[in-house]
Amino acid sequence: MTVYRCEDSLEGIFTAIYLAYEEKRDHKDTRISLNDEPMLFAEDIQVTPDWEKTRKVMNTLNRRFGESDYLNLCRALAAEDEDKAQAVYRTVVDGLEKKVKEGHLFDNLADDNVNRALALSINTRREIHHLRGFVRFQELENGMLYSKIGPKNNILTFLMPHFSDRLPIENFVLYDERRNLFGIHPAGKQWILFCGEEGTGRGDSSGAEKRLGEIGLSEKELQYQALFRSFCHAITIEGRRNAELQRNMLPLRFREYMFEFQ
Amino acid sequence: MEYLITGGEQPLMDKLQILTAAAKYDVACTSSGVERGGTGQSIGNCVKSGICHSFAGDGRCISLLKILLTNECIFDCKYCQNRCSNDIPRATFTPEEICTLTMEFYRRNYIEGLFLSSGIIRNPTFTMELICRVLYLLRTKYHFNGYVHVKAIPGAAPELIQRAGYMADRMSVNLELPTAEGLRALAPNKHRKSILTPMRQIQNGIVENKNDLVLYRNAPRFVSGGQSTQVIIGATPENDYQILSVAESLYRKFELKRVFYSAFVNVTGDSNLPALPGGPPMLREHRLYQADWLLRFYGFRADELLDEGRPFFNVLLDPKEDWAVRHLEQFPVEINRAPLEMLLRVPGVGVKSAQRIMAARRIASLTFADLKKIGVVLKRALYFVTCNGRMMYPVKMEEDYIVRNLTGEKERVRFGSDGMSYRQMSLFDDGSFTRPVGAEERLQAAVGQL
Repeated sequence: MTVYRCEDSLEGIFTAIYLAYEEKRDHKDTRISLNDEPMLFAEDIQVTPDWEKTRKVMNTLNRRFGESDYLNLCRALAAEDEDKAQAVYRTVVDGLEKKVKEGHLFDNLADDNVNRALALSINTRREIHHLRGFVRFQELENGMLYSKIGPKNNILTFLMPHFSDRLPIENFVLYDERRNLFGIHPAGKQWILFCGEEGTGRGDSSGAEKRLGEIGLSEKELQYQALFRSFCHAITIEGRRNAELQRNMLPLRFREYMFEFQ
Repeated sequence: MEYLITGGEQPLMDKLQILTAAAKYDVACTSSGVERGGTGQSIGNCVKSGICHSFAGDGRCISLLKILLTNECIFDCKYCQNRCSNDIPRATFTPEEICTLTMEFYRRNYIEGLFLSSGIIRNPTFTMELICRVLYLLRTKYHFNGYVHVKAIPGAAPELIQRAGYMADRMSVNLELPTAEGLRALAPNKHRKSILTPMRQIQNGIVENKNDLVLYRNAPRFVSGGQSTQVIIGATPENDYQILSVAESLYRKFELKRVFYSAFVNVTGDSNLPALPGGPPMLREHRLYQADWLLRFYGFRADELLDEGRPFFNVLLDPKEDWAVRHLEQFPVEINRAPLEMLLRVPGVGVKSAQRIMAARRIASLTFADLKKIGVVLKRALYFVTCNGRMMYPVKMEEDYIVRNLTGEKERVRFGSDGMSYRQMSLFDDGSFTRPVGAEERLQAAVGQL
């Protein structure tokens, strides 16, 4: 048994997959693991993420499985899950071995790994879709839009293209406070991903976040918040009040970040 | 609090409250059906699936800024709270106010776009012209590229409806009441013919535009999200079969994207309207929506689900279950062989899971455990399917028996009672062994310290 141990990132896992092929491992007897739990009679290999190897894996997956299934794999890897690396690895091995046609990578849902990978991907996609709607931007004094999110999965990279397509002429910042990541979009330019300062754990407010928090809100911001809040109340039909349905559609964990529920 | 954008004496907050409350009984709030990327210079794009931005206290989604242009109305429809004989506070937005609200809400990501309806002010053509003015401002001066849904006012000049269609993503004309008799009784100023005329006009416009787009790729799009309509349920004595047949013919003959059903809420207390002591007929609305989906995605016809002899939906069973127990001669269906059309007719199998079954069974023959993983609702499907010639449990193919099991809480086949229903048992599984193995224990096991 060979175990590749890598960090929890797209680069780490793709590099591990690359190494498994490069070193011609028996895929049935190989695992990719994200933690340090020792296994009996296993040979441990530490993986250092490598951009060149990652790029090669990305190209191959994209070419062999088509863009939509490649994105499914990426979304599965963005999920918050212990076994995602193994599920994606097995799915890829299966797909390459059976030479599946483009867009048919996830057909074999009776297989546990394929099923798991697709389930993770769907779970991530659902959260991406939710947050496209539930993000609330606040206008700061300098006219910049700023929003804080706390998603379960690492989805900032999937949200940024959507918002930069939607608001190309705005300066805006999306901040993932659980991973201390910033998505920054300067007006009219390409968006960038920015990692907060080192040494600040999850939930800590980092230096950059603190500095953003110090900038006050613009003078019209509170007025528009009040307007939208009253809109939400006025649109409710009292005869059909249904808090359970509301909770099903908009889980409480999102409301923490939405001003209309505070 | 003072608001910067106020037109006239009324504060914007009051106007927004009045005109939102006046628009809330309109159910259409979808932002789906249009995929349009951003342009780089303007604000906004459209996403095919539509996006819900919040959910109101009644559980309905808030996707669009749903407002009326004005709640002044010259009509006197008995079911409507904005009718001219009703004494309520009135307000009117200026086009600039609507545009500013839309833009500011949109860039803060509160909404997906604008839904603009209106009471009839002066006459239909004048009202439609105001709506067109808002649309024009929004698209040209404010460079808004997001989703816009507007009402086509019945009786307005056709060229105005045409003009609005080129600027909006979706248009709708409300049918309001399913039959002409109902309309005559409750809405004396509206006529079925005047409602169907703009609907036909929009339909023809969409068809023509499709042909234009084949020739000229960059031709302007006309109502690219299609048109929808709304029917009020429970204000007049029509039965479900009539309503569903009307919806079916709207889909067939007018190529509508959606028909919305709105459970009647008695807001006016008019003596001609039914009093609803049990609240709005929500279950009836729910069953109609279920049947609507069966019409659009599952290949059912209205006369299969209901007929003159049984014009109302079953209260206890959903329309698909109801159809299935009346057609037991077509069941059980073999999952590994049945065609897609038949899979879609099995209760508990949706469009997505039917497609997944079709794909997965080409690679491996499916078992009930696999069906569970694929997403089939086994507690409904188990009476109607076999996997490799076997049913999940011994089930009598008998209408009474199945209905009893589908509805009764107690008599249901004890699904999952044997612990083997859909989970593979492992060597150490004794049924109560649910605690996962911790990292520490695994370490101890590995080095032999148990």
